[in-house]
Amino acid sequence: MTVFLFRRLLSALAVLLALSILVYGLFYLMPGDPAELACGKRCDVSELAQVRHAMGLDRSIVAQFWTFISSLFVGHSYDTGVGTTWCSAPCLGFSFQSNEPVTQMLLDRLPVDLSLALGSAVLWLALGIGFGLFAALRPNGLRDRMTTLVAMTFSATPLFVLALLLLIVFCVWWQVLPFPTYVPLTQDPGQWFENLLLPWLAIALVTAGNYLRLTRAGVLESLGQDHIRTLRAYGYSERRVVLRHAVRGALPTLATMAAVDIGGVLAGAVFTESMFGLPGLGKLMVDSANNVDLPVVTGITLLAAFLIIAANAVADVLYAVLDPRVRLA
Amino acid sequence: MPRRIRLAAAAVGLTALVGSLTAACGGSSSTSSAAAFDAANCTGGTLQVLDQATEDTGLDPAELYTSGGGAIPRLLFRTLTTRDTTAGADGRTVVPDLATDTGEPSANATVWTYHLKSGLKYADGQAITSADIKYGVERSFSSELAGGPPYLRDWLIGGETYQGPYGANPDLASITTPNATTIVFHLRKSEGDFPYLAAETQFAPVPKAEDTGKNYNADPVSSGPYTIQNFTKGKDLILTRNTYWSKSTDSQRLACPDTIDISFGLSATVIDQRLAASVGQDADAITTDTDVDAATLAKAAVQPSLKARLTSGNFPDTTYLAFNTTKAPFNNILVREAFSYAVDRTALVNAEGGSQLATALTTFTPPSIGAAYHPYDYFPAGATGNAAKAKQLLAQAGYPNGLTVQLAYDNNDPQDAAALQQAYAKAGITLKLNPIDDSSYDSVVTNTTTEPALSLFGWGADWPSGAPFLTPIFDGRDIVQGGGNFNLAQYDDPAVEKQIDQINQITDFTKAQQAWGDLDAQLGKLALDVPLYTANDVVLHGSSVKNTYVDQWRGWYDISSVSVK
Repeated sequence: MTVFLFRRLLSALAVLLALSILVYGLFYLMPGDPAELACGKRCDVSELAQVRHAMGLDRSIVAQFWTFISSLFVGHSYDTGVGTTWCSAPCLGFSFQSNEPVTQMLLDRLPVDLSLALGSAVLWLALGIGFGLFAALRPNGLRDRMTTLVAMTFSATPLFVLALLLLIVFCVWWQVLPFPTYVPLTQDPGQWFENLLLPWLAIALVTAGNYLRLTRAGVLESLGQDHIRTLRAYGYSERRVVLRHAVRGALPTLATMAAVDIGGVLAGAVFTESMFGLPGLGKLMVDSANNVDLPVVTGITLLAAFLIIAANAVADVLYAVLDPRVRLA
Repeated sequence: MPRRIRLAAAAVGLTALVGSLTAACGGSSSTSSAAAFDAANCTGGTLQVLDQATEDTGLDPAELYTSGGGAIPRLLFRTLTTRDTTAGADGRTVVPDLATDTGEPSANATVWTYHLKSGLKYADGQAITSADIKYGVERSFSSELAGGPPYLRDWLIGGETYQGPYGANPDLASITTPNATTIVFHLRKSEGDFPYLAAETQFAPVPKAEDTGKNYNADPVSSGPYTIQNFTKGKDLILTRNTYWSKSTDSQRLACPDTIDISFGLSATVIDQRLAASVGQDADAITTDTDVDAATLAKAAVQPSLKARLTSGNFPDTTYLAFNTTKAPFNNILVREAFSYAVDRTALVNAEGGSQLATALTTFTPPSIGAAYHPYDYFPAGATGNAAKAKQLLAQAGYPNGLTVQLAYDNNDPQDAAALQQAYAKAGITLKLNPIDDSSYDSVVTNTTTEPALSLFGWGADWPSGAPFLTPIFDGRDIVQGGGNFNLAQYDDPAVEKQIDQINQITDFTKAQQAWGDLDAQLGKLALDVPLYTANDVVLHGSSVKNTYVDQWRGWYDISSVSVK
């Protein structure tokens, strides 16, 4: 297992380095010039050159990339006009837009996505696996068909439409929940829960369908296998056969998918954040890309890549734990 | 200030769906509270502001590019002058703020002197001095704090080469402060509109000892009625009272609410929903940057309680079809006239959401600019275009079989280009659509080397006067080679430049506006562009917010006047 983890870590670092080179490279091919945006309207050529110099964008791309990589490990000092600020390692630079240290910006926003991912995952796993089993117990019966139909309808609904419908139903018609705004867990757990319920529900309803299908298919597949026939022959109840034994067949796939999906939400749930006004990584990414804010775009890309790689690693480990056949020597 | 109006087609479709759902449900909006607004007894409560802006760039008065000091910045920054805080046409007037008057000009309007009122203080209790205002203006020249309007650099003597107070030559000699309450600006040319520029945030005082350079945008020192309690960029800004601010020195801000809680980064659809529903705290909510969508407008038509909460106003802006007259075929005035005749303004207004949201224009200056609007329609296209006349002109110009040209537009706003394409087809003009990515549109079009022959553009006035509306567009000396050129016609006539200089010397505002209006009416004959429409801002507020009006300087709510009590 140690060798397995070590190998994973090395390849993760290689992927991150390759990604940062790619983001830097793409940035220079992208339309839009951050210096022009910072300079404002009717900014003439000489003024633009000064701004570009002040932003450090007049240096070669290699020099800029080197500053970026070295700041990650040893930190970097930045000119504020009246003095300098020190950005300590791991320093991802300062945002062109807000002049805040990118590392801090990411740390401020990560709890939003962490809250979103964990809460919604609990919901979608409960809904997906629960109804998947419910459907699998009587395959092709009315309740199986109805459950699958409802689940597929939710899966096929674009998140921003579902989000709006939830807002209208819960916040305008019934007025049982507030229009969401992010309240940190540490500040008020009750408010945190109340405000995140709708975003959780939106993500869970859209995502749960896949889990339902996988659970149902996995369980039905296991039910056709020899050991299940033996268990039935021993006289175990159908409920026990399904819940204790057949479900195991579906678990490795479910765990893998859950790890990757959770990693995806952690790395930024763009539509959910936008529709519910939650200041998370996804929204920051979109805003920063629109403003050609290279340090922030790079920072989020790296963090997102890291989270997805980590999620994949967790998925692999889970798979190994749940299915001894794939375990490495 | 160029301004392009966004209307995402997808969002409209979506909100139409949602709007019809809420309409079907019946009005759930609460009714407004009974007591009428009373300025003498309006203080208290918390005003909620729901905005789309993320305010990532923060609140540095040097970097902000506002019109008339903006909405939120004006709560924090007092400037030498400001806009008259009143509903109606008077809202376009400039009035004193920190200064005792709107400025004493020299005979030819090249030297402007201001005296500060007495008893002015920052939120930390320090006195505001003229040196602080000089320092504030000087900071805006620093390339670390770029982003503000370009006028100071152009107008002040030595402004073109001055690098701001952080470099080797920190002093800008053309601003002098003979004493702590007097400040004098020496301009290199006559500028009768200087009092209007002095309402911008660059004229807010900044105490040198508190300046943190690029970090100042997170925590600026307030001179206005409120001060920052908490500011998280991208999330929220909470303002509380500046206890050192006194109403006795400030006649332009009522500052009724005790607290102002601003939420950033909300989606436009959600803002409209929340304001329409007015549930709980949202009854005390308002927005400073979000127009109502088509669905809410439709809902308001059948719901009087909602309609009562809609306010409409105008920011003087024009969306127009820009010709690059240095390029064929637009170097030929007959072709430009043909394009003017063939335009279908009704289709464009409809593309923008209908007559409530846009008004067709045949003049470059819109009516909302005030006295500088002189109506004319030299190439009458009627409501839907005069294709016959356009064809005839094209034949005269040597295009008897019509012509094909590319139309450049911002890919975020495809609806106007599509409407134009259809209308021009009737006159034998084939428009090939050339969408350009939003993030680079301005830089492609405003660069003389990359400017297309034909493009869709918008222009808004930095203040309600003909000067900032016409000069950047038609003054040949403003053709900037390379980037940042807004004279898209690349029109260059020394006689017009001389006229512009003469009008700039007029310090009587009414007379100056008449002259600007005359100039627009004169330039209109040259068909240097096709004016299309001006956008109307229709905004909604929560059911308990009082004294809500849209100020006619900017076309948005004046939140320094509203009350939630």
